[in-house]
Amino acid sequence: MESLFATIYSFLDTVLPFAWAASLFMKRAFLEIMLITPLCAIVGIQVVNSRMAFFSDAISHSAFTGIALGLLLSINPLLTMVVFGVLVALGIAKFKTRSDLPMDTIIGVFFAATIAMGIAIISARKGLTQALSSFLYGDVLTIAEMEIAVTFALFAVILIFIALSYNRLLLTGINEPLARSQDIPVNIYNYIFAIILAVVVTMGIRTIGILLITALLIVPPASARNVSRNVRQMFWYSLFFAWVSGIAGLVISFYTDIATGASIILTASLCFLLTFIISLVRR
Amino acid sequence: MANTAIELVNVSVTVNHAPLLKNVSAGIPKGKITALIGPNGAGKTTLILAILGIIPHEGEIFFLRDGRRETTRPRIGYVPQRLDFDRGLPLTVLDFLTLSSQRRPLWLGYQQAKRDKALEALREIGVEHLSERQIGRLSGGELQRVMLAMAISREPEILLLDEPAAGVDVSGEALFCEFMTRVQREGRLTMVIVSHDLSVVTGHAEHVICLNRTVQCQGGAPEVLTPENIMAVYGPHAGLYRHGQDTCIHPLHHK
Repeated sequence: MESLFATIYSFLDTVLPFAWAASLFMKRAFLEIMLITPLCAIVGIQVVNSRMAFFSDAISHSAFTGIALGLLLSINPLLTMVVFGVLVALGIAKFKTRSDLPMDTIIGVFFAATIAMGIAIISARKGLTQALSSFLYGDVLTIAEMEIAVTFALFAVILIFIALSYNRLLLTGINEPLARSQDIPVNIYNYIFAIILAVVVTMGIRTIGILLITALLIVPPASARNVSRNVRQMFWYSLFFAWVSGIAGLVISFYTDIATGASIILTASLCFLLTFIISLVRR
Repeated sequence: MANTAIELVNVSVTVNHAPLLKNVSAGIPKGKITALIGPNGAGKTTLILAILGIIPHEGEIFFLRDGRRETTRPRIGYVPQRLDFDRGLPLTVLDFLTLSSQRRPLWLGYQQAKRDKALEALREIGVEHLSERQIGRLSGGELQRVMLAMAISREPEILLLDEPAAGVDVSGEALFCEFMTRVQREGRLTMVIVSHDLSVVTGHAEHVICLNRTVQCQGGAPEVLTPENIMAVYGPHAGLYRHGQDTCIHPLHHK
């Protein structure tokens, strides 16, 4: 794997002959952002179209507890974060099929319970607070090659699933009874998507942080919606805005010392503002 | 039995301890138009959802093939009474119709055959001109017709329409009547229409099921649609009138 990364770094030296891309940690950050931002955008389209932003927020905040559990039990916190996030997502999805309560109420209950659990753990073990802060704000500049490789594998698997089920997922998001009437196994799709969302959200936390990961999911697709007239445009514009925000945010953070996660989301929000103005002018 | 497409045996649906349907037993004839009539809250939509397998039920729903009872559903086209969806979604009518038929993700473009089939269905319902419009910007009547086109583009064996004429304007209603007449003439499609609209029922239905939580009466349209039965189902204020030279009879809505 080392020689593969050496080749990639030398390629990046050729195509990105800029001061900001000179150091190894910036090259790694660039690679991670090139993978995680479109991944978030692809999953985020469904989040926006199915009104699942709060669901994604609950998963990202549950990561806080997952990390605390990992630190407490001396297990790799990246692993406990992903597993705990997936369990919370599946728990919410299961409750949704069994309860008459509104979806946001169910999510609110899970949200509160998991956060309370996380606070309970860190308040009992004071030393954990320091280790948690890098997850709150994200730290893409310390990303390791192994993490980039895992993100790449994840990107490939999720892209294949999304390519095979995109139309059906979209119809499910538009109207579940209509999707069921067309023999689409709605519950299975909902569970699989909940798992994918949990994995992407928790993986993205290393780059963007718990506080801002939902923004990376929803802001580029929301910008795309402002200027799209059909499904195809929304998909490609979402990817475009995600990449532009990611790379511009990384470069801005290099020259200004702003946290990378924050500068990515600020750039994405600026894209949203511009596309919103365009949509107003078009009307 | 050979002429029955769907057989309902003691179908009951209970939601939150409230019985919505109780021991519904009925047969829906093959290749004919069956009207499901009854007052508000009679369980008409619930029965359609039970047939679709969307809502859990007790009792049995059989789909008959060559006289044999099967529980696997054939291809069913369904037009809901109202489609609740995010109206800001950038989704064209053509996107909407190809969503369920095409496996290739729409962001890679349409498959020519699926696109042609969707356009053909839109043409059949007289709404081909709407193909590039966003579905959130359609009127209620236009959306109903687009959903009907989506349902028939699946080439269903059974078509379930829940209040198909609701919200449809006069020209839309004429097109809808034309479609019903064609379906009736061809006799290939088993159609179930939920309707409050007695004009649709008297104009097209060959078989009628009167529902009010349970089956009140059922049979051929002329035998069932007697003033006594209509009064028993809808109350004393229901009536009918003919509108101009239309082939359809228009309703004097039940209040």
